[in-house]
Amino acid sequence: MANRTLPRLLQTPAVILLLFWMLVPLGMTLFFSFIRYVLNSLNRPEWTSPSFDNWRGFGNYAFVWNNDGFWLAIYNSVFMVCSIIILTVGLGLAIAVLVNRSFPGRGIVRVLLISPFFVMPAVNAVLWINMILDPVLGLQGLAIGGINDLITGLREFPVLGAFFSLWPELEPISFRASQTSAVAVIIMVTWQWTPFAVLIFMTSLQSEDQQQKEAAILDGANAWSQFVYLTIPHLARPIAIVVMIQAIFHLSLYAEIEIVSRGNGNKNLPYLIGEFATNNIGAASAAGIFAVILANIIAIFLLRMVGKTLMD
Amino acid sequence: MAVVSQNTTFSKVFWPAVAWSVAIIFFFPIFWMVFTSFKTDADAVKPEFLFFFTPTLENYTNMTENYDYWRFAINSVITATFATIFALVVGVPAAYAMAFNPSRATKDVLMWMLSTKMLPAAAVLYPMTFLTKNFLDIYDTHFLIIVVLCLINLPIVIWMLFTYFKEIPKEIIEAGKMDGVDTWGEIKDILIPLAWGGVASTALLCFIFCWNEAYWTVRLTTTEAATLSKLIEGNRAPEGLFFGRLSAVSTAAVGPIVVLGWFCQKQLVQGLTFGAVK
Repeated sequence: MANRTLPRLLQTPAVILLLFWMLVPLGMTLFFSFIRYVLNSLNRPEWTSPSFDNWRGFGNYAFVWNNDGFWLAIYNSVFMVCSIIILTVGLGLAIAVLVNRSFPGRGIVRVLLISPFFVMPAVNAVLWINMILDPVLGLQGLAIGGINDLITGLREFPVLGAFFSLWPELEPISFRASQTSAVAVIIMVTWQWTPFAVLIFMTSLQSEDQQQKEAAILDGANAWSQFVYLTIPHLARPIAIVVMIQAIFHLSLYAEIEIVSRGNGNKNLPYLIGEFATNNIGAASAAGIFAVILANIIAIFLLRMVGKTLMD
Repeated sequence: MAVVSQNTTFSKVFWPAVAWSVAIIFFFPIFWMVFTSFKTDADAVKPEFLFFFTPTLENYTNMTENYDYWRFAINSVITATFATIFALVVGVPAAYAMAFNPSRATKDVLMWMLSTKMLPAAAVLYPMTFLTKNFLDIYDTHFLIIVVLCLINLPIVIWMLFTYFKEIPKEIIEAGKMDGVDTWGEIKDILIPLAWGGVASTALLCFIFCWNEAYWTVRLTTTEAATLSKLIEGNRAPEGLFFGRLSAVSTAAVGPIVVLGWFCQKQLVQGLTFGAVK
Protein backbone atom coordinates (compact mmCIF):
# COMPACT_ATOMS: atom_id res chain seq x y z
CA MET A 1 0.00 0.00 0.00
CA ALA A 2 2.99 2.27 -0.34
CA ASN A 3 1.87 3.69 -3.59
CA ARG A 4 0.02 6.91 -2.93
CA THR A 5 0.68 8.54 -6.26
CA LEU A 6 -1.90 6.70 -8.30
CA PRO A 7 -4.93 7.34 -6.05
CA ARG A 8 -4.00 10.98 -5.95
CA LEU A 9 -3.67 11.04 -9.71
CA LEU A 10 -7.13 9.57 -10.11
CA GLN A 11 -8.68 12.33 -8.02
CA THR A 12 -6.82 15.09 -9.75
CA PRO A 13 -9.17 15.70 -12.71
CA ALA A 14 -12.19 16.03 -10.45
CA VAL A 15 -10.38 18.30 -8.03
CA ILE A 16 -8.93 20.53 -10.73
CA LEU A 17 -12.22 20.86 -12.57
CA LEU A 18 -14.12 21.78 -9.44
CA LEU A 19 -11.37 24.11 -8.34
CA PHE A 20 -11.61 26.02 -11.60
CA TRP A 21 -15.37 25.97 -11.51
CA MET A 22 -15.36 27.47 -8.07
CA LEU A 23 -12.39 29.80 -8.04
CA VAL A 24 -12.43 31.45 -11.44
CA PRO A 25 -16.00 32.83 -11.52
CA LEU A 26 -16.02 33.54 -7.80
CA GLY A 27 -12.70 35.34 -8.04
CA MET A 28 -14.09 37.45 -10.86
CA THR A 29 -17.21 38.24 -8.85
CA LEU A 30 -15.02 39.30 -5.95
CA PHE A 31 -12.95 41.53 -8.22
CA PHE A 32 -15.98 43.10 -9.90
CA SER A 33 -17.55 43.79 -6.53
CA PHE A 34 -14.72 46.19 -5.69
CA ILE A 35 -14.69 48.18 -8.94
CA ARG A 36 -17.07 50.49 -10.75
CA TYR A 37 -18.29 48.37 -13.64
CA VAL A 38 -21.42 49.03 -15.71
CA LEU A 39 -22.37 47.65 -19.12
CA ASN A 40 -23.73 50.89 -20.58
CA SER A 41 -22.72 54.38 -19.62
CA LEU A 42 -22.86 57.43 -21.84
CA ASN A 43 -21.03 59.74 -19.43
CA ARG A 44 -18.43 57.40 -18.07
CA PRO A 45 -17.41 55.03 -20.87
CA GLU A 46 -14.29 54.07 -18.90
CA TRP A 47 -16.52 52.21 -16.44
CA THR A 48 -17.76 49.83 -19.09
CA SER A 49 -14.72 47.58 -18.96
CA PRO A 50 -13.35 45.92 -15.83
CA SER A 51 -10.13 47.54 -14.65
CA PHE A 52 -8.26 48.25 -11.42
CA ASP A 53 -8.35 51.95 -12.36
CA ASN A 54 -12.04 52.00 -11.47
CA TRP A 55 -11.43 50.80 -7.93
CA ARG A 56 -14.38 51.57 -5.68
CA GLY A 57 -13.44 49.79 -2.47
CA PHE A 58 -16.51 48.84 -0.51
CA GLY A 59 -18.63 51.34 -2.42
CA ASN A 60 -20.68 48.67 -4.19
CA TYR A 61 -21.30 46.90 -0.90
CA ALA A 62 -22.47 50.16 0.66
CA PHE A 63 -24.70 50.82 -2.36
CA VAL A 64 -26.30 47.40 -2.11
CA TRP A 65 -26.56 47.56 1.68
CA ASN A 66 -28.36 50.93 1.54
CA ASN A 67 -30.62 49.82 -1.31
CA ASP A 68 -34.23 49.26 -0.20
CA GLY A 69 -34.65 46.63 -2.88
CA PHE A 70 -31.86 44.58 -1.32
CA TRP A 71 -33.56 44.32 2.05
CA LEU A 72 -36.89 43.59 0.42
CA ALA A 73 -35.18 40.82 -1.57
CA ILE A 74 -33.60 39.42 1.61
CA TYR A 75 -37.00 39.58 3.30
CA ASN A 76 -38.69 37.84 0.37
CA SER A 77 -35.96 35.18 0.21
CA VAL A 78 -36.22 34.42 3.91
CA PHE A 79 -40.03 34.59 3.93
CA MET A 80 -40.37 32.18 1.03
CA VAL A 81 -37.67 29.77 2.22
CA CYS A 82 -39.03 29.64 5.77
CA SER A 83 -42.64 29.17 4.66
CA ILE A 84 -41.69 26.42 2.25
CA ILE A 85 -39.59 24.63 4.86
CA ILE A 86 -42.28 24.79 7.55
CA LEU A 87 -44.94 23.53 5.14
CA THR A 88 -42.87 20.76 3.57
CA VAL A 89 -41.56 19.44 6.88
CA GLY A 90 -45.02 19.52 8.48
CA LEU A 91 -46.75 17.90 5.54
CA GLY A 92 -43.82 15.56 4.97
CA LEU A 93 -43.93 14.23 8.54
CA ALA A 94 -47.69 13.73 8.43
CA ILE A 95 -47.63 11.96 5.08
CA ALA A 96 -44.59 9.83 5.90
CA VAL A 97 -46.23 8.53 9.06
CA LEU A 98 -49.45 7.99 7.12
CA VAL A 99 -47.77 5.93 4.42
CA ASN A 100 -45.47 4.05 6.80
CA ARG A 101 -47.85 1.12 7.24
CA SER A 102 -48.87 -1.64 4.90
CA PHE A 103 -52.12 -1.22 3.02
CA PRO A 104 -53.41 -2.17 -0.42
CA GLY A 105 -51.76 -0.20 -3.20
CA ARG A 106 -49.00 1.28 -1.06
CA GLY A 107 -46.55 1.06 -3.95
CA ILE A 108 -48.83 3.08 -6.21
CA VAL A 109 -49.41 5.65 -3.47
CA ARG A 110 -45.65 6.07 -3.15
CA VAL A 111 -45.24 6.51 -6.88
CA LEU A 112 -48.04 9.08 -7.05
CA LEU A 113 -46.62 10.96 -4.06
CA ILE A 114 -43.06 11.20 -5.31
CA SER A 115 -43.91 12.24 -8.87
CA PRO A 116 -44.11 16.02 -8.36
CA PHE A 117 -40.47 16.05 -7.36
CA PHE A 118 -39.36 15.09 -10.87
CA VAL A 119 -41.32 17.79 -12.67
CA MET A 120 -38.93 20.41 -14.00
CA PRO A 121 -39.28 23.77 -12.20
CA ALA A 122 -40.28 25.64 -15.35
CA VAL A 123 -43.16 23.25 -16.04
CA ASN A 124 -44.18 23.31 -12.39
CA ALA A 125 -44.48 27.10 -12.44
CA VAL A 126 -46.23 27.33 -15.83
CA LEU A 127 -48.68 24.60 -14.86
CA TRP A 128 -49.63 26.10 -11.52
CA ILE A 129 -49.81 29.76 -12.42
CA ASN A 130 -51.81 29.22 -15.61
CA MET A 131 -53.88 26.12 -15.38
CA ILE A 132 -54.52 25.94 -11.66
CA LEU A 133 -54.17 29.35 -10.03
CA ASP A 134 -55.33 31.63 -12.84
CA PRO A 135 -58.22 33.76 -11.50
CA VAL A 136 -60.31 33.45 -14.66
CA LEU A 137 -59.31 30.41 -16.71
CA GLY A 138 -57.50 28.30 -14.16
CA LEU A 139 -59.20 25.78 -11.92
CA GLN A 140 -59.31 28.38 -9.18
CA GLY A 141 -61.28 30.81 -11.35
CA LEU A 142 -63.58 28.06 -12.59
CA ALA A 143 -64.21 26.77 -9.07
CA ILE A 144 -65.01 30.21 -7.70
CA GLY A 145 -67.22 31.00 -10.69
CA GLY A 146 -69.07 27.72 -10.11
CA ILE A 147 -69.62 28.45 -6.42
CA ASN A 148 -70.89 31.94 -7.24
CA ASP A 149 -73.33 30.52 -9.79
CA LEU A 150 -74.50 28.01 -7.24
CA ILE A 151 -75.14 30.71 -4.62
CA THR A 152 -76.96 32.88 -7.16
CA GLY A 153 -79.15 29.89 -7.98
CA LEU A 154 -79.86 29.22 -4.32
CA ARG A 155 -81.02 32.81 -3.84
CA GLU A 156 -84.07 32.02 -5.96
CA PHE A 157 -85.42 29.67 -3.30
CA PRO A 158 -87.99 30.99 -0.84
CA VAL A 159 -86.86 31.41 2.78
CA LEU A 160 -83.39 29.90 2.12
CA GLY A 161 -82.86 32.53 -0.56
CA ALA A 162 -82.96 35.26 2.08
CA PHE A 163 -80.14 33.50 3.89
CA PHE A 164 -78.02 33.04 0.79
CA SER A 165 -78.52 36.60 -0.39
CA LEU A 166 -76.52 37.60 2.69
CA TRP A 167 -73.54 35.71 1.26
CA PRO A 168 -71.00 37.84 -0.50
CA GLU A 169 -69.95 37.18 -4.06
CA LEU A 170 -66.59 35.34 -3.91
CA GLU A 171 -63.66 37.04 -5.57
CA PRO A 172 -60.99 34.89 -7.21
CA ILE A 173 -57.44 35.68 -6.10
CA SER A 174 -54.97 36.89 -8.69
CA PHE A 175 -51.71 35.13 -7.92
CA ARG A 176 -49.66 37.35 -10.19
CA ALA A 177 -50.36 40.44 -8.06
CA SER A 178 -47.63 41.82 -5.86
CA GLN A 179 -49.41 40.86 -2.61
CA THR A 180 -49.88 37.23 -3.56
CA SER A 181 -47.13 36.27 -6.01
CA ALA A 182 -44.87 35.07 -3.19
CA VAL A 183 -47.71 32.84 -1.99
CA ALA A 184 -48.01 31.35 -5.48
CA VAL A 185 -44.30 30.48 -5.40
CA ILE A 186 -44.65 28.99 -1.93
CA ILE A 187 -47.58 26.82 -3.06
CA MET A 188 -45.84 25.44 -6.14
CA VAL A 189 -42.50 24.80 -4.48
CA THR A 190 -44.19 23.18 -1.48
CA TRP A 191 -46.02 20.90 -3.87
CA GLN A 192 -42.75 19.94 -5.52
CA TRP A 193 -40.64 19.47 -2.40
CA THR A 194 -43.06 17.84 0.03
CA PRO A 195 -42.42 14.54 -1.80
CA PHE A 196 -38.72 14.97 -1.08
CA ALA A 197 -39.40 15.37 2.64
CA VAL A 198 -41.81 12.42 2.57
CA LEU A 199 -39.28 10.21 0.85
CA ILE A 200 -36.51 10.98 3.30
CA PHE A 201 -38.69 10.67 6.40
CA MET A 202 -40.14 7.44 5.07
CA THR A 203 -36.67 5.98 4.50
CA SER A 204 -35.70 6.96 8.00
CA LEU A 205 -38.91 5.67 9.59
CA GLN A 206 -38.14 2.21 8.28
CA SER A 207 -35.16 2.03 10.61
CA GLU A 208 -37.22 3.03 13.64
CA ASP A 209 -36.96 0.65 16.57
CA GLN A 210 -40.16 -1.38 16.49
CA GLN A 211 -39.55 -3.09 19.82
CA GLN A 212 -39.34 0.23 21.56
CA LYS A 213 -42.64 1.14 19.97
CA GLU A 214 -44.30 -2.06 21.08
CA ALA A 215 -43.03 -1.49 24.59
CA ALA A 216 -44.55 1.97 24.50
CA ILE A 217 -47.90 0.57 23.38
CA LEU A 218 -47.82 -1.95 26.24
CA ASP A 219 -47.14 0.92 28.60
CA GLY A 220 -50.30 2.57 27.34
CA ALA A 221 -48.74 5.31 25.24
CA ASN A 222 -51.22 6.58 22.64
CA ALA A 223 -50.38 7.25 19.01
CA TRP A 224 -49.68 10.92 19.60
CA SER A 225 -47.21 10.44 22.41
CA GLN A 226 -45.49 7.67 20.45
CA PHE A 227 -45.10 10.18 17.64
CA VAL A 228 -43.83 12.98 19.87
CA TYR A 229 -41.52 10.98 22.15
CA LEU A 230 -40.26 8.27 19.81
CA THR A 231 -40.72 9.19 16.17
CA ILE A 232 -39.75 12.85 16.29
CA PRO A 233 -36.48 12.25 18.18
CA HIS A 234 -35.68 9.43 15.76
CA LEU A 235 -36.26 11.80 12.84
CA ALA A 236 -34.34 14.74 14.31
CA ARG A 237 -31.38 14.28 12.03
CA PRO A 238 -33.32 13.73 8.78
CA ILE A 239 -35.44 16.76 9.62
CA ALA A 240 -32.33 18.88 10.08
CA ILE A 241 -30.95 17.65 6.78
CA VAL A 242 -34.22 18.29 4.92
CA VAL A 243 -34.32 21.81 6.36
CA MET A 244 -30.79 22.65 5.34
CA ILE A 245 -30.85 21.12 1.88
CA GLN A 246 -34.07 22.95 1.13
CA ALA A 247 -32.68 26.19 2.51
CA ILE A 248 -29.76 25.96 0.11
CA PHE A 249 -31.92 25.03 -2.88
CA HIS A 250 -34.67 27.55 -2.25
CA LEU A 251 -32.38 30.48 -1.51
CA SER A 252 -31.58 30.31 -5.22
CA LEU A 253 -35.14 29.99 -6.55
CA TYR A 254 -35.28 31.63 -9.92
CA ALA A 255 -37.43 30.02 -12.62
CA GLU A 256 -40.57 30.10 -10.48
CA ILE A 257 -40.10 33.78 -9.64
CA GLU A 258 -39.53 34.66 -13.27
CA ILE A 259 -42.55 32.74 -14.53
CA VAL A 260 -45.05 33.78 -11.84
CA SER A 261 -44.57 37.53 -11.91
CA ARG A 262 -41.07 38.45 -13.05
CA GLY A 263 -40.14 39.46 -9.54
CA ASN A 264 -43.21 41.59 -8.91
CA GLY A 265 -43.87 41.08 -5.21
CA ASN A 266 -41.65 38.01 -4.86
CA LYS A 267 -38.25 39.31 -5.90
CA ASN A 268 -35.62 37.32 -4.03
CA LEU A 269 -31.88 37.77 -3.86
CA PRO A 270 -30.93 35.82 -7.02
CA TYR A 271 -33.57 37.68 -8.99
CA LEU A 272 -32.32 41.03 -7.72
CA ILE A 273 -28.78 40.03 -8.68
CA GLY A 274 -30.06 39.15 -12.15
CA GLU A 275 -31.64 42.58 -12.44
CA PHE A 276 -28.50 44.38 -11.28
CA ALA A 277 -26.53 42.29 -13.77
CA THR A 278 -28.40 43.77 -16.72
CA ASN A 279 -26.28 46.87 -16.19
CA ASN A 280 -24.62 47.46 -12.83
CA ILE A 281 -22.14 44.59 -12.60
CA GLY A 282 -20.41 46.07 -9.55
CA ALA A 283 -23.62 46.04 -7.55
CA ALA A 284 -24.62 42.61 -8.88
CA SER A 285 -21.27 41.22 -7.75
CA ALA A 286 -21.48 42.78 -4.29
CA ALA A 287 -25.02 41.39 -3.88
CA GLY A 288 -23.65 38.05 -5.10
CA ILE A 289 -21.03 38.04 -2.36
CA PHE A 290 -23.78 38.70 0.19
CA ALA A 291 -25.66 35.71 -1.25
CA VAL A 292 -22.55 33.56 -0.89
CA ILE A 293 -22.20 34.60 2.74
CA LEU A 294 -25.87 33.82 3.42
CA ALA A 295 -25.59 30.38 1.80
CA ASN A 296 -22.36 29.64 3.69
CA ILE A 297 -23.92 30.23 7.07
CA ILE A 298 -26.35 27.40 6.34
CA ALA A 299 -23.82 25.26 4.47
CA ILE A 300 -21.46 25.11 7.43
CA PHE A 301 -24.12 23.47 9.60
CA LEU A 302 -25.10 21.08 6.83
CA LEU A 303 -21.53 20.04 6.11
CA ARG A 304 -20.96 19.39 9.78
CA MET A 305 -23.96 17.08 9.96
CA VAL A 306 -23.07 15.24 6.78
CA GLY A 307 -19.43 14.99 7.77
CA LYS A 308 -20.28 13.11 10.97
CA THR A 309 -21.40 10.01 9.07
CA LEU A 310 -18.74 10.26 6.42
CA MET A 311 -16.07 7.79 7.48
CA ASP A 312 -17.96 5.36 9.66
CA MET B 1 -60.08 3.68 24.30
CA ALA B 2 -56.80 5.05 25.48
CA VAL B 3 -54.84 2.71 23.28
CA VAL B 4 -55.31 3.34 19.60
CA SER B 5 -54.56 -0.04 18.22
CA GLN B 6 -53.52 -0.32 14.62
CA ASN B 7 -55.75 -3.30 14.10
CA THR B 8 -59.25 -1.93 14.50
CA THR B 9 -61.40 -2.16 11.41
CA PHE B 10 -61.83 1.59 11.45
CA SER B 11 -58.11 2.33 11.23
CA LYS B 12 -57.67 -0.41 8.67
CA VAL B 13 -60.00 1.39 6.29
CA PHE B 14 -59.68 4.99 7.35
CA TRP B 15 -55.92 5.61 7.23
CA PRO B 16 -55.32 3.91 3.88
CA ALA B 17 -58.21 5.98 2.51
CA VAL B 18 -56.55 9.14 3.80
CA ALA B 19 -53.21 8.06 2.32
CA TRP B 20 -54.83 7.40 -1.04
CA SER B 21 -56.59 10.78 -0.98
CA VAL B 22 -53.37 12.62 -0.19
CA ALA B 23 -51.55 10.80 -2.97
CA ILE B 24 -54.30 11.64 -5.45
CA ILE B 25 -54.28 15.31 -4.43
CA PHE B 26 -50.52 15.48 -4.90
CA PHE B 27 -50.66 13.78 -8.24
CA PHE B 28 -53.65 15.79 -9.43
CA PRO B 29 -51.74 18.71 -11.04
CA ILE B 30 -49.75 16.25 -13.15
CA PHE B 31 -52.91 14.38 -14.05
CA TRP B 32 -54.58 17.67 -14.95
CA MET B 33 -51.71 18.63 -17.22
CA VAL B 34 -51.87 15.31 -19.07
CA PHE B 35 -55.68 15.49 -19.17
CA THR B 36 -55.69 19.02 -20.59
CA SER B 37 -53.16 18.05 -23.22
CA PHE B 38 -55.90 16.05 -24.97
CA LYS B 39 -58.22 19.07 -25.25
CA THR B 40 -58.12 21.59 -28.05
CA ASP B 41 -56.94 25.06 -27.04
CA ALA B 42 -60.51 26.32 -27.34
CA ASP B 43 -62.02 23.54 -25.25
CA ALA B 44 -59.37 23.78 -22.58
CA VAL B 45 -60.71 27.07 -21.18
CA LYS B 46 -64.42 26.29 -21.44
CA PRO B 47 -66.02 25.26 -18.13
CA GLU B 48 -68.59 23.10 -19.94
CA PHE B 49 -65.75 20.91 -21.27
CA LEU B 50 -64.01 20.71 -17.90
CA PHE B 51 -64.34 16.94 -17.58
CA PHE B 52 -66.15 15.78 -20.68
CA PHE B 53 -64.80 16.59 -24.08
CA THR B 54 -63.77 15.02 -27.35
CA PRO B 55 -60.16 13.97 -26.88
CA THR B 56 -57.74 14.94 -29.59
CA LEU B 57 -54.09 14.24 -30.31
CA GLU B 58 -53.60 17.39 -32.35
CA ASN B 59 -51.61 19.08 -29.58
CA TYR B 60 -49.06 16.32 -29.85
CA THR B 61 -49.03 16.05 -33.61
CA ASN B 62 -48.61 19.83 -33.91
CA MET B 63 -45.93 20.04 -31.26
CA THR B 64 -43.10 20.41 -33.73
CA GLU B 65 -44.98 23.09 -35.61
CA ASN B 66 -46.10 25.01 -32.50
CA TYR B 67 -42.97 24.83 -30.40
CA ASP B 68 -40.21 23.21 -32.42
CA TYR B 69 -40.30 20.67 -29.59
CA TRP B 70 -37.83 18.15 -30.99
CA ARG B 71 -35.00 20.63 -31.36
CA PHE B 72 -35.20 21.48 -27.65
CA ALA B 73 -35.80 17.87 -26.68
CA ILE B 74 -32.76 16.69 -28.64
CA ASN B 75 -30.67 19.41 -27.00
CA SER B 76 -31.86 18.21 -23.59
CA VAL B 77 -31.03 14.60 -24.44
CA ILE B 78 -27.58 15.47 -25.81
CA THR B 79 -26.54 17.76 -22.97
CA ALA B 80 -27.91 15.56 -20.17
CA THR B 81 -26.44 12.38 -21.66
CA PHE B 82 -22.95 13.70 -22.26
CA ALA B 83 -22.86 15.59 -18.97
CA THR B 84 -23.75 12.35 -17.19
CA ILE B 85 -21.11 10.38 -19.09
CA PHE B 86 -18.40 12.92 -18.35
CA ALA B 87 -19.42 13.16 -14.72
CA LEU B 88 -19.03 9.38 -14.45
CA VAL B 89 -15.74 9.33 -16.33
CA VAL B 90 -14.30 11.88 -13.93
CA GLY B 91 -16.23 10.70 -10.90
CA VAL B 92 -15.63 6.93 -10.92
CA PRO B 93 -11.82 7.08 -10.66
CA ALA B 94 -12.02 9.81 -8.03
CA ALA B 95 -14.57 7.93 -5.93
CA TYR B 96 -12.55 4.72 -6.39
CA ALA B 97 -9.41 6.34 -5.09
CA MET B 98 -11.18 7.92 -2.15
CA ALA B 99 -13.03 4.77 -1.16
CA PHE B 100 -10.15 2.30 -1.39
CA ASN B 101 -7.09 4.43 -0.73
CA PRO B 102 -8.34 7.09 1.65
CA SER B 103 -5.78 9.49 2.96
CA ARG B 104 -6.14 11.95 5.80
CA ALA B 105 -7.22 14.60 3.31
CA THR B 106 -9.99 12.53 1.72
CA LYS B 107 -12.69 13.67 4.11
CA ASP B 108 -11.79 17.31 3.62
CA VAL B 109 -11.66 16.91 -0.16
CA LEU B 110 -15.13 15.37 -0.14
CA MET B 111 -16.50 18.12 2.08
CA TRP B 112 -14.93 20.77 -0.08
CA MET B 113 -16.45 19.21 -3.20
CA LEU B 114 -19.83 19.32 -1.57
CA SER B 115 -19.35 22.94 -0.62
CA THR B 116 -18.94 23.91 -4.28
CA LYS B 117 -22.51 22.69 -4.74
CA MET B 118 -23.67 25.28 -2.25
CA LEU B 119 -22.31 28.25 -4.10
CA PRO B 120 -25.32 30.32 -5.20
CA ALA B 121 -25.42 30.32 -8.98
CA ALA B 122 -26.63 33.90 -9.15
CA ALA B 123 -23.43 35.08 -7.51
CA VAL B 124 -21.35 33.98 -10.48
CA LEU B 125 -23.91 34.68 -13.21
CA TYR B 126 -22.16 37.63 -14.76
CA PRO B 127 -18.63 36.21 -14.68
CA MET B 128 -19.91 33.08 -16.37
CA THR B 129 -21.66 35.08 -19.07
CA PHE B 130 -18.60 37.27 -19.50
CA LEU B 131 -16.15 34.35 -19.66
CA THR B 132 -18.17 32.29 -22.08
CA LYS B 133 -19.33 35.13 -24.30
CA ASN B 134 -16.40 37.50 -24.53
CA PHE B 135 -13.46 35.37 -23.56
CA LEU B 136 -13.92 31.74 -24.54
CA ASP B 137 -16.59 32.31 -27.16
CA ILE B 138 -18.55 29.20 -26.21
CA TYR B 139 -21.78 30.91 -25.14
CA ASP B 140 -24.88 29.03 -26.30
CA THR B 141 -23.02 25.89 -27.35
CA HIS B 142 -23.72 22.29 -26.42
CA PHE B 143 -20.17 22.04 -25.17
CA LEU B 144 -20.70 24.76 -22.58
CA ILE B 145 -23.97 23.34 -21.28
CA ILE B 146 -22.46 19.86 -21.06
CA VAL B 147 -19.49 21.16 -19.08
CA VAL B 148 -21.64 23.23 -16.74
CA LEU B 149 -24.14 20.43 -16.12
CA CYS B 150 -21.30 18.01 -15.54
CA LEU B 151 -19.62 20.30 -13.02
CA ILE B 152 -22.69 21.18 -11.01
CA ASN B 153 -23.53 17.49 -10.63
CA LEU B 154 -20.00 16.17 -10.16
CA PRO B 155 -20.01 16.59 -6.35
CA ILE B 156 -23.24 14.60 -6.02
CA VAL B 157 -21.98 11.95 -8.43
CA ILE B 158 -18.72 11.50 -6.53
CA TRP B 159 -20.54 11.41 -3.20
CA MET B 160 -23.02 8.83 -4.33
CA LEU B 161 -20.37 6.64 -5.93
CA PHE B 162 -18.23 6.99 -2.84
CA THR B 163 -21.02 5.75 -0.56
CA TYR B 164 -21.63 2.79 -2.87
CA PHE B 165 -17.94 1.89 -3.27
CA LYS B 166 -17.39 2.08 0.48
CA GLU B 167 -19.78 -0.85 0.90
CA ILE B 168 -17.57 -3.11 -1.20
CA PRO B 169 -15.10 -5.14 0.90
CA LYS B 170 -11.58 -3.88 0.42
CA GLU B 171 -10.29 -7.45 0.32
CA ILE B 172 -11.84 -8.07 -3.07
CA ILE B 173 -9.92 -5.19 -4.59
CA GLU B 174 -6.75 -6.24 -2.76
CA ALA B 175 -7.12 -9.76 -4.12
CA GLY B 176 -7.23 -8.33 -7.59
CA LYS B 177 -4.04 -6.46 -6.86
CA MET B 178 -2.36 -9.67 -5.74
CA ASP B 179 -3.31 -11.29 -9.01
CA GLY B 180 -1.49 -8.51 -10.79
CA VAL B 181 -4.49 -6.65 -12.12
CA ASP B 182 -3.70 -3.03 -12.88
CA THR B 183 -5.82 -0.11 -11.67
CA TRP B 184 -7.80 0.18 -14.84
CA GLY B 185 -8.54 -3.52 -14.66
CA GLU B 186 -9.61 -3.21 -11.04
CA ILE B 187 -12.10 -0.50 -11.94
CA LYS B 188 -13.34 -2.12 -15.11
CA ASP B 189 -13.42 -5.80 -14.16
CA ILE B 190 -13.95 -5.80 -10.40
CA LEU B 191 -15.41 -2.52 -9.18
CA ILE B 192 -17.93 -1.65 -11.90
CA PRO B 193 -19.48 -5.13 -12.07
CA LEU B 194 -19.74 -5.27 -8.27
CA ALA B 195 -21.18 -1.77 -7.89
CA TRP B 196 -23.18 -1.87 -11.09
CA GLY B 197 -26.48 -1.01 -9.42
CA GLY B 198 -24.94 1.95 -7.64
CA VAL B 199 -23.26 3.29 -10.76
CA ALA B 200 -26.46 2.93 -12.77
CA SER B 201 -28.62 4.73 -10.26
CA THR B 202 -26.03 7.46 -9.87
CA ALA B 203 -26.12 7.95 -13.63
CA LEU B 204 -29.90 7.98 -13.66
CA LEU B 205 -30.12 10.57 -10.93
CA CYS B 206 -27.46 12.72 -12.55
CA PHE B 207 -29.38 12.57 -15.81
CA ILE B 208 -32.59 13.67 -14.08
CA PHE B 209 -30.87 16.61 -12.41
CA CYS B 210 -29.32 17.66 -15.72
CA TRP B 211 -32.66 17.44 -17.49
CA ASN B 212 -34.45 19.58 -14.92
CA GLU B 213 -31.72 22.18 -14.47
CA ALA B 214 -33.25 25.59 -15.08
CA TYR B 215 -30.76 28.27 -14.15
CA TRP B 216 -27.66 27.85 -16.27
CA THR B 217 -29.44 26.20 -19.18
CA VAL B 218 -31.69 29.26 -19.42
CA ARG B 219 -29.06 31.91 -18.71
CA LEU B 220 -26.27 30.57 -20.89
CA THR B 221 -28.21 29.75 -24.04
CA THR B 222 -30.21 31.62 -26.64
CA THR B 223 -31.14 29.27 -29.48
CA GLU B 224 -28.43 26.77 -30.45
CA ALA B 225 -28.15 24.81 -27.22
CA ALA B 226 -31.47 25.77 -25.63
CA THR B 227 -33.04 22.92 -23.65
CA LEU B 228 -36.62 22.12 -22.69
CA SER B 229 -36.40 24.30 -19.57
CA LYS B 230 -35.72 27.24 -21.83
CA LEU B 231 -38.58 26.30 -24.14
CA ILE B 232 -41.12 26.16 -21.31
CA GLU B 233 -39.83 29.31 -19.68
CA GLY B 234 -40.14 31.09 -23.01
CA ASN B 235 -43.84 30.24 -23.11
CA ARG B 236 -44.49 31.24 -19.54
CA ALA B 237 -47.63 33.38 -19.87
CA PRO B 238 -50.03 32.22 -22.52
CA GLU B 239 -52.95 33.94 -20.72
CA GLY B 240 -55.18 30.98 -21.29
CA LEU B 241 -54.88 31.03 -25.04
CA PHE B 242 -52.91 27.86 -25.48
CA PHE B 243 -53.61 25.67 -22.46
CA GLY B 244 -54.05 22.60 -24.64
CA ARG B 245 -50.85 22.81 -26.59
CA LEU B 246 -48.89 24.09 -23.58
CA SER B 247 -50.04 21.08 -21.57
CA ALA B 248 -48.97 18.76 -24.36
CA VAL B 249 -45.48 20.19 -24.62
CA SER B 250 -45.13 20.24 -20.82
CA THR B 251 -46.22 16.61 -20.65
CA ALA B 252 -43.68 15.71 -23.30
CA ALA B 253 -41.00 17.61 -21.39
CA VAL B 254 -41.54 16.00 -17.99
CA GLY B 255 -43.09 12.62 -18.87
CA PRO B 256 -39.91 10.63 -19.52
CA ILE B 257 -38.18 12.03 -16.46
CA VAL B 258 -41.06 11.39 -14.09
CA VAL B 259 -41.11 7.78 -15.25
CA LEU B 260 -37.33 7.48 -14.86
CA GLY B 261 -37.67 9.02 -11.42
CA TRP B 262 -40.02 6.28 -10.28
CA PHE B 263 -37.17 3.82 -10.73
CA CYS B 264 -34.69 5.61 -8.53
CA GLN B 265 -36.72 6.77 -5.54
CA LYS B 266 -34.43 5.06 -3.11
CA GLN B 267 -31.22 6.32 -4.66
CA LEU B 268 -32.68 9.80 -4.59
CA VAL B 269 -32.58 9.77 -0.81
CA GLN B 270 -28.90 8.84 -0.78
CA GLY B 271 -28.04 11.22 -3.57
CA LEU B 272 -29.78 14.23 -2.16
CA THR B 273 -28.73 13.77 1.43
CA PHE B 274 -25.16 12.88 0.47
CA GLY B 275 -25.48 9.50 2.13
CA ALA B 276 -26.43 10.99 5.48
CA VAL B 277 -29.86 9.32 5.44
CA LYS B 278 -30.02 5.70 4.45
